[in-house]
Amino acid sequence: MEHIYLDYAASTPVDAWVVEAMTALMTADGNYANPSSTHAAGRQSIAHIAHAAGQLAGLLNTDADRLIWTSGATESDNLAILGAARYRQQRGRHLITMRTEHKAVTDPFKELERQGFDVTWLNPEASGLLDGATLKAALRDDTQLVSIMHINNETGVIQDIAQLGAICRERDILFHVDAAQSAGKLPIDLSALPVDLMSMTAHKVYGPKGIGALYIADRPGVHVEPMLFGGGQQRKLRPGTLPAQQIVGFGVAAAIAQSRMSDDLKHLKALRERLWFGIRDIPGISTNGAMESAFPGILNVSIEDIEGESLLLALEPLCVATGSACNSKSQEPSYVLRALGTSDALAQSAIRFSFGRPTRAADIDIAIERYRTAVEKLRNMAPERAA
Amino acid sequence: MSNDPYSDRVRALFDAPAHAGVLDGGFSARADDQGLRIRLSATTSNGEISALRFQAWGCPHLIAAAEAFCAGYEQRSAADLLDFSASDLMQSLAVPVEKTGRILVLEDAVRSLGCIVRETSTQLKKED
Repeated sequence: MEHIYLDYAASTPVDAWVVEAMTALMTADGNYANPSSTHAAGRQSIAHIAHAAGQLAGLLNTDADRLIWTSGATESDNLAILGAARYRQQRGRHLITMRTEHKAVTDPFKELERQGFDVTWLNPEASGLLDGATLKAALRDDTQLVSIMHINNETGVIQDIAQLGAICRERDILFHVDAAQSAGKLPIDLSALPVDLMSMTAHKVYGPKGIGALYIADRPGVHVEPMLFGGGQQRKLRPGTLPAQQIVGFGVAAAIAQSRMSDDLKHLKALRERLWFGIRDIPGISTNGAMESAFPGILNVSIEDIEGESLLLALEPLCVATGSACNSKSQEPSYVLRALGTSDALAQSAIRFSFGRPTRAADIDIAIERYRTAVEKLRNMAPERAA
Repeated sequence: MSNDPYSDRVRALFDAPAHAGVLDGGFSARADDQGLRIRLSATTSNGEISALRFQAWGCPHLIAAAEAFCAGYEQRSAADLLDFSASDLMQSLAVPVEKTGRILVLEDAVRSLGCIVRETSTQLKKED
């Protein structure tokens, strides 16, 4: 049986229009010149990049010159967090983030802790949302940076970045948002949002892997120290030859995302409802993170008295994500779900379904059947708990 | 390079565990450890294992190991249960070393089953 891909929060296929635009910049009859070259072909290449920057900036309603190209969201997060903390360290060395952030955020903060910075790790409510009062209470006179993700990659919970950013802006604290899961999926207006730094990536929105961007607001005190050295590209903040074909791919993906966003959201909402209505009557099932506050492209469910690793294997040929940190090598339950107060047993059984443009209702129907069958099989196979 | 944590044999045994279930009558033993649960049941005839079944709550490697054990020990002497070692199964199923503890839960259950069979048989002989 062909696999059924329901892991669009991990990555998406590259849109055919994106492939076409990228290919034109890679072959001998296309424009493959180094964008740093000053000859005609180089100038043409940089024009393509400028156009792509305009497309991404259009998606986010900001100026194209506020965007720095990176290799992806992980690099953007690292540049934002490490770069901003180092730039502002003379003013203070206190930083704030959440326990439910992606590793691309938590690991740079842990590195900063090793370097002597003081990091406050906030817990969300059981819903997955961060209470503004919790953030306010954690702020100190020496706080320099707050980093909160927009859409949680495991639960889909959407943080209120307008409210959280406003709290930071009142105190002139930098506010970084990891938007790896939201840029191109939710409306984002950077001209209005109190966001100073925003990380994004192309491959979650039908663009190529290997390209991302960091938005840096044009505001006094907002700056990052570079992590790479070796050239003058991108105002020396992220030197290196610009991968024109990747950037153009991101630009086209952003333009498509902007034009389709409303339809995409309707499609995803219908798919999530179809799946949840198909499995919600299974005894012991529950959702992780408040569905009403979550992005409709993600449904994360746990189920009582089911072993997560066996469930994941029994679900094949569905391609879904587990709640474990990784499959066979570690059975540590997801730190994200644990931070929500989910028990280890329930967190260990968690499955994240995530949907995309190619997902059909028929795929969801198969997922429903596979999930129900897998749960029944594993429950039938399990001995009762000892008295 | 492969990131598949399961060998083909583990996948096959997990997909079609022909020996999953419980035998009515006969002997049964269970082991509960490390959050795992395994129950074995057996029927014997003249000191030979006629049938084996298992129930398991655990990872695919544990379920596959339980199925492989049941399939491999039917028609063998019941005394062999006492000498069961998980190491051969671990090797044949390519169980990752970090899961050794899980397969040892199966070993505990098998040896318990062997003890129960032996003790019950001894008891019956005395009564004869």
